[in-house]
Amino acid sequence: MFTVLIAAATALSACDSGSSFKPKAAAPVTSTTTPAATRAPNCGDPVASFAPSGPRPAPGPMPPGSFMETIRKRGRLIAGVSADTLLFGFRNPVSGNLEGFDIDMVREVARAIFNDPDKVEYRVLTYAQRIPALRSGAVDIVADVMTINCARWAQISFSSQYFDAGQKVLVRTDSRARGIADLNGKRMCAAKGSTNIDNLKNYPKVITVGVDDISDCMVLFQQGAVDSVTGDDTVLAGFVAQDPYAKVVGPPITSEPYGLGIAKTHPEFVQFVNSVLEDVRANGTWRQWYVKWLKPTVPAPEPPPAKYGRAL
Amino acid sequence: MQAAPTSSPPESRARELLADAFAGTPGRMRLLGALAVAACVAFGGLAFLLGTNLDRALGASRAHAAQLVRIQTIRTSLVKADANATNAFLVGGLEPTDVRTGYADGIQTAAATLADASSADANDAHALQAVNEALASYAGMVEAARANNRQGFPIGAAYLRAASRLIQSDALPPLEQLVNEERSRVDSSSNAATDAQRELVALLVLVVASLVVTQVWLFAKTRRVLNPPLVAATAMVVVAGLAGLGVVAWSRGKASDARRGPYTETVALATARIDGFDAKSAESLTLIAHGSGQAYEDRFKSVSLGATRALTPAGVGQFGKPEADAREALAVYVNAHTRVRAADDRGDYDGAVRSATGTGEANRAFGGFETTSRQALALRSAQASDDLAHARSPLLAISWLMLVIGLVAAFAARRGVAQRLREYR
Repeated sequence: MFTVLIAAATALSACDSGSSFKPKAAAPVTSTTTPAATRAPNCGDPVASFAPSGPRPAPGPMPPGSFMETIRKRGRLIAGVSADTLLFGFRNPVSGNLEGFDIDMVREVARAIFNDPDKVEYRVLTYAQRIPALRSGAVDIVADVMTINCARWAQISFSSQYFDAGQKVLVRTDSRARGIADLNGKRMCAAKGSTNIDNLKNYPKVITVGVDDISDCMVLFQQGAVDSVTGDDTVLAGFVAQDPYAKVVGPPITSEPYGLGIAKTHPEFVQFVNSVLEDVRANGTWRQWYVKWLKPTVPAPEPPPAKYGRAL
Repeated sequence: MQAAPTSSPPESRARELLADAFAGTPGRMRLLGALAVAACVAFGGLAFLLGTNLDRALGASRAHAAQLVRIQTIRTSLVKADANATNAFLVGGLEPTDVRTGYADGIQTAAATLADASSADANDAHALQAVNEALASYAGMVEAARANNRQGFPIGAAYLRAASRLIQSDALPPLEQLVNEERSRVDSSSNAATDAQRELVALLVLVVASLVVTQVWLFAKTRRVLNPPLVAATAMVVVAGLAGLGVVAWSRGKASDARRGPYTETVALATARIDGFDAKSAESLTLIAHGSGQAYEDRFKSVSLGATRALTPAGVGQFGKPEADAREALAVYVNAHTRVRAADDRGDYDGAVRSATGTGEANRAFGGFETTSRQALALRSAQASDDLAHARSPLLAISWLMLVIGLVAAFAARRGVAQRLREYR
């Protein structure tokens, strides 16, 4: 049996957010629904999600009418993931299986529904496909290094934050650049549909090269077609692990809190997933995954705390 | 020929002598005689040129058909290499030896055929050079993909995608362009036979008419019914001309049979094979894309339909058994592919991959199509080449024959007119 964790700090924890977005009003969990339109573009604290409500149902039959029950009846969870983000979601070329931090996260959600982490159908998505896939119902959940922000809250919902990344830049080991600011006039590759490419608008002198998959950036980088690659430090760490002639430099130019993406129409599923994340943080599973996937390359010794208070 | 004296007195004097030579009845007789002789020489010479030109044109047609097969072989080898490279990735781990061999074989055949095709037709060399460069980059990218793959680095998949895109964007379009050019060259050199036949008829009519006019005029002037040498000359020209026409018509028929038969089938089979390998690549890429491969599945649908259409005879023509076998094998593969998609769509990704690789159902079905279509193509392209060679086989002999007969007839005509001239004096 899972212990239900209802965070006592739920409602007002958003106040201590380091984000530039301050909550307008931290609505109590029990409040009535707020029209979607009022959340965009200012959505309050972006990392505030829906608090889990009541005890989480045990694996097996789910509450009638809930999205979890729809998934259970289907027999598998459909997850949108990445296949080429080493450490987070990648296809292990040796085994042919998808692996990584994000994949483990999805498997944990499947375990909570089916008591079987293997009942997942993966759909590999490009960054730009993530939101459309959720909105069309093609996938139930997206676990693909997805940054939580207000623009996206206007289109989909997010779980509580499960990782805190930052955008950095990858250059050749012989480069003297110390950050994006030193790369004016140079070609910098970023994935289309990512927050990374949006953030480059603040660096108008950098020549931006957009590609579908961020791993295509690495191909261009290794062939000398671009001078640098920008992405989250987590993703870039995976690239450095594959290329001894690359290094990641600079202070992070942004904070990129990761959340699991879920369609707006299923708030009960967001609550369910948040409850699973509570367990993952509390029982050492997060720590175990961190050691397994990220420890030597990405500094983040503790899981970021969950924040709630978003009105259903 | 009874030529006028052409030594070097003043110009007016020469004109006078010339006028004298053709003045009066003997003069006109001389003129007409000269025409008859010229007609026979013209027949021999022009018929020879027509025949040898047609021979060359049919030779060119065969060469262009062979070049077309070469270029289609390059395209097939490239898509084959890519189909194997993508399939190897799908298998995961170390690629199976036969898949690696299939890839290496595709690259080697493409490189060797590129060299052959460049030296076979200098017109194509420039475009083929671009393909050669794309091939070099492609092979480099696939090796980078393998090297990363062997170290367990997922970036290998990105190299593979980039390589596949390179084939689609840089190598296949110039080859497709060349195929279209070669096809129109084959068609235009084949039209030469129709032209040659028409020209030979016109030549024969003109020559025979001038010989007949000569004889009718001689008859009117000399009241002699027949002039045996002139009659013989006319008969020789008529017989040689009709024989020539017969041979040209036969060649034209054979060439057109070859073009409608084995050549059309060669083109159809080559197209089907290219589309078939492309479909197999698309199947692997759909599975590698793991659920977001709709674009590749769309490509599968369009190219597999292209392959089926290529093997379905259009209009009145009927393809033979080799094509029907290939079409059937293709249908078996397309059905198996439908089951691969169904498995993937209901969440059985592993089952779908099993079917599309190794000894899985879809992979075996594709192997069946590959073998059947390869054998059919080898058969048809050899037939097309043989038939086109056969079509031109008697042309040189008949050309020389018409030349010799034309010259002999000219000699006879000259004798015939000289005889009458002597009698007239």
